[in-house]
Amino acid sequence: MTAWPAPGPRPSAVLAARYARALDIAAVVAVAGWHLAGAGPLLVAHLGSYASDQFQITAWCAIALIIAVGSVLLLRGYRGRGTCWALAGAALVLSTAAAAGCPPAQMLATDWAWGTAGWVGVLVLLRRPLAELGVFLSLEALATFAVLARDGLHRQSVAAFITVLAGSAGIQLAIAVAAGALNLPARQAAAAATREADASARQAAADRIRTARRARWLELRATAEPLLRGLAAGTADPADPAVQRACAVEAARLRRLFAEADDAPEPLVHELHACADVAQRRGVAVDIETAAVIPVVPPEVRRGITDLAIVVLVNAISRVRITVTGMVDGVIVSLVSDSPAQPELPSSPGWLAVDSQRDQQSLWVEARWNTT
Amino acid sequence: MEHHVRVAIVEDHPVVVEGVISWIGADPQRRITVAQVVSDTAGLAVPRAADVLVLDLELGGRMVADEVARLSASGYRIVAFSAHVDPGLILDVLDAGAYAYVSKDEGRDHLIEAVLAAAADRPCVTRSQAKAILADPRPGRPALSGKERQALLLWFQGMSKASVARRMSISENTVRQYIDRARVKYATLGRPAHTKDALLARAIEDGLIRPGEVATYTTLASQPRPALS
Repeated sequence: MTAWPAPGPRPSAVLAARYARALDIAAVVAVAGWHLAGAGPLLVAHLGSYASDQFQITAWCAIALIIAVGSVLLLRGYRGRGTCWALAGAALVLSTAAAAGCPPAQMLATDWAWGTAGWVGVLVLLRRPLAELGVFLSLEALATFAVLARDGLHRQSVAAFITVLAGSAGIQLAIAVAAGALNLPARQAAAAATREADASARQAAADRIRTARRARWLELRATAEPLLRGLAAGTADPADPAVQRACAVEAARLRRLFAEADDAPEPLVHELHACADVAQRRGVAVDIETAAVIPVVPPEVRRGITDLAIVVLVNAISRVRITVTGMVDGVIVSLVSDSPAQPELPSSPGWLAVDSQRDQQSLWVEARWNTT
Repeated sequence: MEHHVRVAIVEDHPVVVEGVISWIGADPQRRITVAQVVSDTAGLAVPRAADVLVLDLELGGRMVADEVARLSASGYRIVAFSAHVDPGLILDVLDAGAYAYVSKDEGRDHLIEAVLAAAADRPCVTRSQAKAILADPRPGRPALSGKERQALLLWFQGMSKASVARRMSISENTVRQYIDRARVKYATLGRPAHTKDALLARAIEDGLIRPGEVATYTTLASQPRPALS
């Protein structure tokens, strides 16, 4: 009936995915860059003044590893809470230990780890709710402040702490907020594009249905109209059995037209029922049986089969048995009826194998269609 | 025995009972007598008063298909007579040991024939049974030959056996053999039942199948001959 377009990614989804991807890559580049070009040189410049240089270098390498893992997860779209927070927690512990290993009273000047841990937080929590990053940055700041307090607090050190806090955590939080804000227009653009795609798909479907209906209607008109004109003009005699049969055929085809528009689980059987309706009104006992699973039968094949069925039904005297048998590779429809004479069967297209046999009063007509 | 078959009718609808009795009465050779009519299986006479049981599968809104095996074991030859035409139910009832399945639509044409066939331990394949066999999706279903399938299909489609014979360019008798052979193959399947053994033994006596064709027949033959008469 109607061929639907193959489902593909909506343009809006593609757009949203591109925005998100660009943001992820920017975060990875920024965090890795900070760790290499910011934290790295700071560490190297103060080697010799830490409690243990070896520990500081190990911690730097470990955080580099966390950044690598976090980057892979982010780029693959992973956002599981447990893993994200395990990475963030590891960075928090490592950075606090590194801060604790800084020379007393020079902690803020020599600590490379605080800022870098905050960036790790941005990286691994970028796809988590913003509040989680807030919690992480607060914990990080509290831990660093605790290390600072160990060496004794005084006005200068607190002022320096606040300055560094504003410079690192502030910027990190601001970037995360901006990332979220950037996502909002992307989502809106995506939603708008989705609506547009839906509307055009509906329009296309409606157009196709209308065209198909019109084609069927034109086809019907070609045969029904002359008959109606003949009846109106008196050239066709309603008492003539041939005219009666022609009317019955047209009525059955009209019913089939209506049935074709229905959404039925087994369209072939549904359309055969519609074709049988006219014969049943005439007092013909019609029995429709199905066996096995009926495969999907394309509309043009159903047409070929129902065209045959209509002729048999119209010519039957009192009974018709219709069977629909599903095969592994097709379907077999047969009609056994009591017909006074062999009716002229419509010529069938090559892909429909039609066979018939007459025995005394009984007519057997079979149509086979193979999927292959 | 074929000339005097005692039948019990288990049916809860009086109209259907009347119909069955009238079909039995219409048999010009008067081969069947109605021994008992009950509306539930619990009312059947002990010891049994009939050879063949015409059993409605739905009594008082309750499905009694699961009683077929027990009733078969107690010596009845069962002809299931039901408004249901679900192929799965038909196969289950045959598997439980029923001789034939006649849908209520087929009663007029086939019920008497099915009762007489059951009394003689012979198969009777109605169109609804043919449909169930053709559509059997179970992996352990018997292998049917191409001719057996073709005969079953044409029979299911509604052709008379004479028409099937003409269509297949064989004799009507051969058509019967193909259809009955397909049915008898089902007697070798599933749970053992005396009635299935009797059906198989009769099929071999009639030359419908050879003992070698039935894989399980050797094991059946080693058992005492079913006490059904």
